Amino acid sequence: MIAAVYRANFNYLLRHPWQLALSVLGISIGVAVIIAVDLANDSSRKAFLLSMDTITGQATHQVIGGPRGVDETLYVQLRRQYGIRSIAPVVEGYVSVNDTSLQVLGVDLFAEQELRSFTSQLSSEQSSGQSEPAAPETVFRNMLTLPGAAVLSAPTARMLGIETGERFDVVAAGTRHSAILLGTYGAADTQSLDNVLTVDIATAQAWLGLANRLSRIDVRIADGDARLLSEISGLLPGDTTILPAAARTRTTAEMSAAFMTNLTAMSLLALLVGLFLIYNSVSFSVLQRRRLIGILRALGTTRRQVFGIILIETAAIGLIAALLGVGLGAWLGGKLLGLVSQSINDFYFRVSVTEVAPSVFAIGKGLVAGVGAALFAAMVPAIEASSYQPRLAMTRSFLEQQTRRLLPFVALAGTAIIVLAFLVLGSSGRNLVAGLVSVFLLILGFALCVPLGVKASTAWLAPLARRLGGVWGGLAVSGIGSSLSRTAVAIVALAVAVSATIGVSIMVDSFRGSVSDWLQKTLQADIYAGMQRGSMQPDLIRDLSQVAGVAAISTSRRASYEDASGSTQIRALQMAPGSYSGIELLDAEPARVWPAFEQDDALLVSEPYAYRNNVAPGDTVMLRTAAGEVAFEIIAVYQSYDINGSSLLMSRATYDRHFADPGVDSIGLYLADGVNADDVIEAMKAISAGRQEILINSNVRIRDLSLEVFDRTFIITDVLYWLAIGVAFIGILGAMLALQLERARELATLRALGMTPLQLGSMITLQTSVIGLLSGLAAIPLGLVMAYVLIEVINRRAFGWQIDMSIAPEILLSAVLFAIVAALLAGLYPAWHAAQSRPALAMREE
Amino acid sequence: MTRTDDIEISLRGLCREYAEGDRTHRVLDGVSLDIARGESVAIRGRSGSGKSTLLNLIGGIDAPDAGRVTVAGVDITQLSERDRTLFRRRHIGFVYQAFNLVPTLDVADNIRLVLELNNVPAEDGDARVGELLEAVGLAERAHSYPDVLSGGEQQRVAIARALSHRPAVLLADEPTGNLDDTTAESILMLLDTLIRKVGGTMLIATHSAHVASCCDRSLRLHNGRFDGSPDETLST
Repeated sequence: MIAAVYRANFNYLLRHPWQLALSVLGISIGVAVIIAVDLANDSSRKAFLLSMDTITGQATHQVIGGPRGVDETLYVQLRRQYGIRSIAPVVEGYVSVNDTSLQVLGVDLFAEQELRSFTSQLSSEQSSGQSEPAAPETVFRNMLTLPGAAVLSAPTARMLGIETGERFDVVAAGTRHSAILLGTYGAADTQSLDNVLTVDIATAQAWLGLANRLSRIDVRIADGDARLLSEISGLLPGDTTILPAAARTRTTAEMSAAFMTNLTAMSLLALLVGLFLIYNSVSFSVLQRRRLIGILRALGTTRRQVFGIILIETAAIGLIAALLGVGLGAWLGGKLLGLVSQSINDFYFRVSVTEVAPSVFAIGKGLVAGVGAALFAAMVPAIEASSYQPRLAMTRSFLEQQTRRLLPFVALAGTAIIVLAFLVLGSSGRNLVAGLVSVFLLILGFALCVPLGVKASTAWLAPLARRLGGVWGGLAVSGIGSSLSRTAVAIVALAVAVSATIGVSIMVDSFRGSVSDWLQKTLQADIYAGMQRGSMQPDLIRDLSQVAGVAAISTSRRASYEDASGSTQIRALQMAPGSYSGIELLDAEPARVWPAFEQDDALLVSEPYAYRNNVAPGDTVMLRTAAGEVAFEIIAVYQSYDINGSSLLMSRATYDRHFADPGVDSIGLYLADGVNADDVIEAMKAISAGRQEILINSNVRIRDLSLEVFDRTFIITDVLYWLAIGVAFIGILGAMLALQLERARELATLRALGMTPLQLGSMITLQTSVIGLLSGLAAIPLGLVMAYVLIEVINRRAFGWQIDMSIAPEILLSAVLFAIVAALLAGLYPAWHAAQSRPALAMREE
Repeated sequence: MTRTDDIEISLRGLCREYAEGDRTHRVLDGVSLDIARGESVAIRGRSGSGKSTLLNLIGGIDAPDAGRVTVAGVDITQLSERDRTLFRRRHIGFVYQAFNLVPTLDVADNIRLVLELNNVPAEDGDARVGELLEAVGLAERAHSYPDVLSGGEQQRVAIARALSHRPAVLLADEPTGNLDDTTAESILMLLDTLIRKVGGTMLIATHSAHVASCCDRSLRLHNGRFDGSPDETLST
């Protein structure tokens, strides 16, 4: 009997393939988005860690210095004077080859074989594989003797179009140098060393302008050898420290954690919308089978068996859909990877990743998410199905009455969940994950309140529609309210997806507005010249500042400062007279702050730094300087949307007093009244030509470029919420088709009574438009709350930025229009399908 | 003997086949019939004998494979699907065994539905709805929804809806099939009274001998044809 029971239900599904297909598609897209974001995040992170592990080799610790790194005499001292053998010096930086940014790794070949394996795998095999490979000793010797000798991974050499033995140009710190490719790494290490250019340490020092300086000293300390660790620590000068290598790598990788968490949350949104779709689809298939289930119950099928049938069936659908979703996700992951790694490169650290390989864990997670979501969504319909009385094939009106009776309780539960969301928000301090959980609770709470709202609005709209569109208008609108078991969930799915577009659009729009205002205020100089990494030549700065029309000049140095808690940017500013207003102080008196700024041991902290480190004016920041650790007083917090948001600002004089780093990486030029900026830029380009490759841009251009990076960052957000809308679209389509199927007799009767196919189709179209309108309207309050939470809680907790919320009415209007258009499009096929109703069906007995 | 100009429904050589897998099943096999204006005719026959198919062909819901259907002087087999729909809207009323009321409309709107389709002015429509509600004894339930009505009440609404536009022909398919004997009797009386009032022609498909006995004429469908001599079905 059981087999027949399953067959009876299975046959039902086969007879409604579109319904089955839509369920599968909805779950698949939800799972695919999760897998894709997971893969893109994971691949970027793994590629970074793999690359760091290869470069770190067997080093357990690293000696690091201040902004200018470590004095190389320290290395000599440690090795020769104190006899510490398991150490190797490293000079790191970034160079450009054929307009591609590469990480340059300068190593001491003699010292470093004790720590790293990849340098022993050097080979001079031609990229084309045609010539004889040279012995490693030859490569080793050439690295030391040939000027500009370098090694790349084979794929990177291929990407750059450089053959072994070929000379090529390297641009480092704005200066062009000649290099020669000695060989490539063996296949085993290719991916981890992609985009890394290995050279002798002296070459790296020369290219990067780091004469006598090291980026760090790698150290291998055997497990538990606390004596050696404390011995080295004791020998270090005041501006250097020793940190565990793995923890340092992890801290760098963690920088992008908030960014990745936000993406994961966005991907869960698609599954959440998918959840409504699954609920709708399973609930519909149960409703459709109420007669069958009634008969089966009458024949002796127990409640538990009915419950089991529904859940097993849903699990099977969920599994098939999740498997498809995993495949789709792997493909989509490849597409998203470019966007994710681009943002990570823009904001956090250099990462080169070319492959997306789903791990068994990721696949398992996708399958669990798909099947779990399907089962969760099916729970209510399964309980409902198992409650059917054997004697009846439940009437539709009875089910709708039941739904309507439950609505106030559902809305009450929704309200309770909203309250819970705010409690979580209020009590979770600065926890990002708790903030995101509260966003999901808010969505769920609102979603549960929507059906009651739909009931009330259709009751109010129906008489109006009746007056305007006659009995057909009334029929279309009241049909929504009287079929709440079907329509409400579709409206909820679309409303949630549209509210996400409202919330995210307002957040991005407000963010963009704040960034744009900030750029306008900050970019006080007329022209900026400089380089991303490295120092400008002092004589070039002098010559540029003497160009006719330049009235004043400011200089800036961005230096990276690292300690156990991670990396912080120090900005040393020598401001032009009157340019202090370019820095927006938060809750501080400029007249008091700026004189103190120029005094010793005082600094300003960026808003994200203050938020993350929970510091305020009056507190101190401890920094390692040439004279040992110094406490710097925080005199104010300043607004900053800088890419490296967490930064400390000090006067150039203060910086020079504490850090032996005379470098300047950018200058701002203030022009005299009436001077044409383009003319000055041309003159500056002429002066710098052949001396140092620097970027020269007007403040307007810098602002545009900054906003371009901003917009690029949010492309992935757009992609993710479009996918969520895609799932909601399928939800509406499914719900409308389900409704047509359920109302087949009613529609056939209307046809039999004389309604033309066009009239019937128009009625359905009107109905879907109203569904879209209600979804759009329901999305507005949720979207606004979501925007508020995203701006005031999520952004703050993730990045420490304070954004001024601004609500552009066109965002709300376009969201409502969008919901109507989406529903209209989703309703086209059902309308056409309804128009095909055969009136003869009405004549047939049920 | 019926005069030709009194004939409301005329069927000639009506054939209808349905495909069943590889085979075809001929449900109606050259049926011919004349029904006079104002006449009530019962079509009897076993399940699957073609009663509903015949009503569908007369109502223009379905089209025959061969033969001609003339209703109120119009050969509806020559009409397009759209014109058949418009013809049905104006001249035919339907009563179903399962009532087929629109669940999302109240009683009054269910009746008003066809009037609005026929562009009857609102005031006239309201008056007509009120009149019919009185006639079927449901004036008090005008704003009730179908799901709170008994079967007999729902069928009365269906009858009111079917007659709202004063159709020339009322087609009823097992109108009492879902009702108890007492209710069925009252429904039959109501149908008879109201159809005579509008001077319409009624065709009832039924299993019931009792229902058939209430009609002017009773015919039996068997193997796709009417039993009995052509004289019983055709006017000469």
